[in-house]
Amino acid sequence: MDYKDYYKELGVEKTASEADIKKAYRKLVRKYHPDVSKEPDADKRTKELNEAYGVLGDVEKRAAYDELGRQPNAQGGQGGSFRPPPNWGSGYESSSADDSDFFADLFAHVGGRGRANSQFQMQGEDSHAAIEVSLHDIYHGAKRTIVMRVPEADGQGRVVTRERTLEVTIPKGVTEGQQLRMKGQGQPGSGGAPAGDLYLEIRFQNDARYKVEGRDVFETVPVTPWEAALGGSIDVPTPSGTVSVTVPPNSQTGRKLRLKGRGIPSAQPGDLYLLLEVVLPPANDAKARELYETMAREMAFNPRQKLGA
Amino acid sequence: MTSNVIGVLLEDKALSLEELARACAVEPDWVVQRVQTGVLLHDGPPPGQLTAWRFTSLDLVRARRLREIESVFDANADLAALVVDLSEEVARLRRRLHVLGAD
Repeated sequence: MDYKDYYKELGVEKTASEADIKKAYRKLVRKYHPDVSKEPDADKRTKELNEAYGVLGDVEKRAAYDELGRQPNAQGGQGGSFRPPPNWGSGYESSSADDSDFFADLFAHVGGRGRANSQFQMQGEDSHAAIEVSLHDIYHGAKRTIVMRVPEADGQGRVVTRERTLEVTIPKGVTEGQQLRMKGQGQPGSGGAPAGDLYLEIRFQNDARYKVEGRDVFETVPVTPWEAALGGSIDVPTPSGTVSVTVPPNSQTGRKLRLKGRGIPSAQPGDLYLLLEVVLPPANDAKARELYETMAREMAFNPRQKLGA
Repeated sequence: MTSNVIGVLLEDKALSLEELARACAVEPDWVVQRVQTGVLLHDGPPPGQLTAWRFTSLDLVRARRLREIESVFDANADLAALVVDLSEEVARLRRRLHVLGAD
């Protein structure tokens, strides 16, 4: 795996004091905090900063990391990689699901031996991660495959990282921010104690057509001027299939039609709101121009009347 | 090897006090203090024993954010709560802007 320079991530020297590291981290984590940052990669940077500070902000972990940095192949530039010495170190915490491969491998190796041989019983830590789901997944439920890197004891009692693939069932009707708990899928326990749990936070993928607020779904529906003016039945594709909708006469752009219970499914489902958008046909041929000219001549219509025009 | 796992939504099976504390890597007392000051479980501690308290997704997300702000910035609990309140309000307004197409 590639060596990650945590000092560089935080913009500090290798000789930086604990206070300097904390100061640098706080400054950067404020700059890239996803709630306030306009940077496009704010989320990614925040994760990297948290990972770097998770190591450099902890005396034991920093010492282990510095030791790693002194390995011959640790910082070889582009091709740089590291091989942790066997049976090295003890007593370090393991990683969470959000950390990088480098972090997971580093702390599986440095934390491995002591934990595996310990008689001390301790339940594994809980892990946290996020999973993105589409609106289709939300309406119909889905299965997702996720790969986790977790430390496990090998035959010699050493701990190595292994990839674990989980096929996760996403239940129908989840909403943004909900947490799925998977018992026993977190970090392994020590001394025979049970593993921790894995929590997956549900995040919605942005959708070009639909917008979601709570359990309500919003969809913009283009209509012709005559459908809007005269009313009538139109077919509209929705997340739960195509439905036939009656457009009331004299509708304008922005009119909201509510389809009760067709929002995100649940015992109390949300509603689907159709936002009408009147689209004018282009006046790009003689016939179309003639029709517009007829309307201009024969319809007494001044949309700027209220402006005093 | 692939394991099939079925997650349980916290809305269907909420966390106990101890489970929330473990998920946030804090002591149960930390959670109790924040419930008693109204930072977690908005409506205040529900009647009954602590063992009857139940926490859903919102509480877990909020508790983890509180702990993060407190530990990263050495912030006191009230200040961290204010930051988390503001952060949730920003998120709510951003979602609203997105729905209105104004983002």
